[in-house]
Amino acid sequence: MRFTSFVLIGIACIVGAVLFRDQTQATSTLEPHTERELAESISSDYQGPAVGANPAREPPVHAVIVHKPAGPPTVRLASVDPQQRLAEVACSTCHSVRPPNLENRLSTALDEFHQGLEFSHGELACYACHNPSNADTLRLADGSAVEYAEVLTLCTQCHSKQAESFAHGAHGGMNGFWDLSRGPQSKNNCIDCHDPHAPTYPQMTVTFKPKDRFNSAEDSHAHQK
Amino acid sequence: MPTRNESESQPQSSSRALPVLQNVPRRAVVKGAFATLGAAAFVAAVSPLRQVASNSSPAEFMQQHYKELSPEDKADVIARLEQEAKEKYGAEVTIGDDRPIPGTKFVYAINLSVCNGNGKCVEACHKENNHDRATNQSYIRVIEMPKGTMDMEQGSTTYSGVVPKKDKFYLPVQCQQCDNPPCVNVCPVQATWKEEDGIVVVDYNWCIGCRYCEAACPYHARRFNWKQPEVPADEVNPDQSYLSNRIRPVGVVEKCTYCLHRTRRGRLPACLEACPTGARVFGNILDENSNIRWILENKRVYILKEELGTKPAFFYYFD
Amino acid sequence: MSSSAHSSSTSPTRSSALLSYPGFLAKALWLATEGSLLFYAWMTLLTALMLVGANAWANQAAGGMINTNMTDHVSWGLYIANFTFCVGLAAGGVMMVIPAYLYDDEEMHQVVIIGEAVAIAAIVMCTLSVVVDLGRPDRFWHLIPGIGKFNWPMSMLTWDVIVLNGYLVINLHIVGYLLYMRYLGRKPNPVWYLPFVFLSIFWAISIHTVTAFLYCGLGGRPFWNTALLAPRFLASAFVSGPAFILLVMRVLRITTGYTAPPGPARTLIQIIRIAMVVNLVMLASEIFTLFYTGGAHASSAQYLFFGAHGRYGLVPWIWTAIGLNLAGTFLFFLPAAMERSTTRIVACLFCIVGIWIEKGMGLIIPGFIPSTLHEVVEYSPSLVEWKVTVGIWALGLIVLTLILKLITEVLAGRVTTSPTAEG
Repeated sequence: MRFTSFVLIGIACIVGAVLFRDQTQATSTLEPHTERELAESISSDYQGPAVGANPAREPPVHAVIVHKPAGPPTVRLASVDPQQRLAEVACSTCHSVRPPNLENRLSTALDEFHQGLEFSHGELACYACHNPSNADTLRLADGSAVEYAEVLTLCTQCHSKQAESFAHGAHGGMNGFWDLSRGPQSKNNCIDCHDPHAPTYPQMTVTFKPKDRFNSAEDSHAHQK
Repeated sequence: MPTRNESESQPQSSSRALPVLQNVPRRAVVKGAFATLGAAAFVAAVSPLRQVASNSSPAEFMQQHYKELSPEDKADVIARLEQEAKEKYGAEVTIGDDRPIPGTKFVYAINLSVCNGNGKCVEACHKENNHDRATNQSYIRVIEMPKGTMDMEQGSTTYSGVVPKKDKFYLPVQCQQCDNPPCVNVCPVQATWKEEDGIVVVDYNWCIGCRYCEAACPYHARRFNWKQPEVPADEVNPDQSYLSNRIRPVGVVEKCTYCLHRTRRGRLPACLEACPTGARVFGNILDENSNIRWILENKRVYILKEELGTKPAFFYYFD
Repeated sequence: MSSSAHSSSTSPTRSSALLSYPGFLAKALWLATEGSLLFYAWMTLLTALMLVGANAWANQAAGGMINTNMTDHVSWGLYIANFTFCVGLAAGGVMMVIPAYLYDDEEMHQVVIIGEAVAIAAIVMCTLSVVVDLGRPDRFWHLIPGIGKFNWPMSMLTWDVIVLNGYLVINLHIVGYLLYMRYLGRKPNPVWYLPFVFLSIFWAISIHTVTAFLYCGLGGRPFWNTALLAPRFLASAFVSGPAFILLVMRVLRITTGYTAPPGPARTLIQIIRIAMVVNLVMLASEIFTLFYTGGAHASSAQYLFFGAHGRYGLVPWIWTAIGLNLAGTFLFFLPAAMERSTTRIVACLFCIVGIWIEKGMGLIIPGFIPSTLHEVVEYSPSLVEWKVTVGIWALGLIVLTLILKLITEVLAGRVTTSPTAEG
């Protein structure tokens, strides 16, 4: 009686294990060793319908829009004209009648206009980017002029790595759609985040924190190192 | 002379006696009285359960699992949920039933050289997903880490003030939509599962609230509704979806869904759009031309807790 | 008792056995409310505590689990801690079954039914402890295979549901069948209970192994993710279960005058001695492996034993538990423990409390501290949780008292179908 009971239980266990082993085994795939293999291995884990098999998958019809500045900046005057209008002055208004100081690198040397300009962009001189022959444009390293709206090309001269990342959506963020067949995507221009004269991204203040029970900052100040 | 006992023990004539009280010993009556008292006390003790019953409805109680619902059932369920949202929160909402786009598998990446821990993504998630306002709930937690280590033991989530701090980098963590998700394996009622586009979803009307998935997740990705979420009517995000950001009931588990109410309509997730530094990248890994594919092929990417074998669809990289 | 159930009157036919079952239940119900003043006081106290617990749980169900002190960081607390301990209690009954049925310990045969009664009460407490922990207990039906969606065999919780309910059914059947046969004055037929008894041996081990697998399969919780967890559970169950049974037997002797032969208690104590030493050895092994290697793997143990990041909440608990376990082990090894003595009782109490802490607060809670993102958020149960847990224990003790009452009455021959036997 006793022996029979044990034997029956044992057989039941073995049968159960055989029936259900498939459902308890984890999938084992070879781990990818290069980035390309990684991307492909993730893609191959995909269990859904085949890519491209769906006729609803359309080619992208919407554009990736990169913001551009409207044009060269202007200097706003502090005073108003007799008609109480604010006046803006184009760069070339002054700079076409003054000789350029090609070696100047210091913002402290600017004592008539552009006062208080913070400048910390490496060892660049002002006229490395600004165009002495046409103050309403910028210039590339080879001297050719470039519109303010195309300021991107200026940045990419030196910051090609960030430019490549930017082109692939890995730098600068975006808004809108990832699926360009359904909607456009808009991206920032370099100067939307980086002030060209002091491009270091500004510090920010944290405004939103979770309010967990039993986990306030005061509770844990003891463990801050 | 008839004794008291005699008159008690002998049955009265049948026309006048109540049958049930014949020959009933006093002990039984006393026991019956106390049993009734006890039952009444029990009913009184559990009377708050009436409120639970009033919070729910027969239709909600009988609702089947999401995968078992026919399109008509789904429409009924969604209509009921929209009605409930109006009653409970005073907001007109539209709940969609967003299914995966064929040929997509979503992958997310964060550039840790760029993230400065400002927490705008945390706030955007809070607003987009109709989280409880009192607790500033969000699916994203950001860890301030000392540079030079990936050991979270040395990190802290309770930082504040001006960021980035010197010699620190910031690690936002949210649901990794793992390809081998421990949370899906442990759910006793299959209330959570992985869909074809990689997103791990929860049927909030099926979850029984056992929190086993919350214990199983290695990334602190899951949240439990310890109370009914409180969201003012004017702050409710009305573009909702059944499996993602509709306002969840009390007592169920929820998690980041890669904003499937946006991403399955082709849009970017809310956290990505809110990031002011542009640290986040999202896309369809199956598209060779996508941004996320380029990152995985060209940047040195890392995943968290790789040794656990969860195979996250969430990557971190440095410039 | 199964082998000594002789019939003293004519055996009724099979059909009247079925018909007399309601009579059996009715008499059982009557007996449940018969007793001395002490009995009434005890049951009234338990009922009051149970009602307090029921009310607290109803408030929790109505107001949400925000009434507990659980958080997204420590998402399991007192309820699951108590559940873990109670599964151990239930499994402990097997330590009476094995000597009685595998080793033909004749004296143990007479008291093994007490172990099964404890198992029934413990399983009731386990099930309740899980139900009160659910965020949506009204959705319980989602677990029923066929109507709901039962994620078996992948989810260990589904295994737990099966083994716990199965163990309850097995023990209810065994106890019920033996009592009913005795009530009818018939000899129990081995075919109807012996296979279940042998099944219950494996099943008892499985309930606690499956419960351990719940925790130790989670890679994200390194404190639990150890192969030693299931053996530790079993070792501590084989201490707490028999210790509880010893206490029950002492209470039975004091209240009903029923005196068991001394042999079963000695067997149980010998089992406890070995199991406790094994438990301590495993604990030492865990401590060495964690602290010698160090690193992040040890951060939960660091928090538990010594505190971490300025938080020390569990340190007094675990050292108390270790002290109690060591003291209890020492007391059990004294010769006085083998006699009916206070030493034995004190040792039982020490071990039960020590293991409750070690398995409950000392295992479940540190699994969550530090969290998976290495945040240290502490937990201590709220008043609602304590009330509900006390209520669950009260209900378990009510069930245990009633079953023991029935056992002592039926097996003493005071309750049978025979009309001549009624006094």
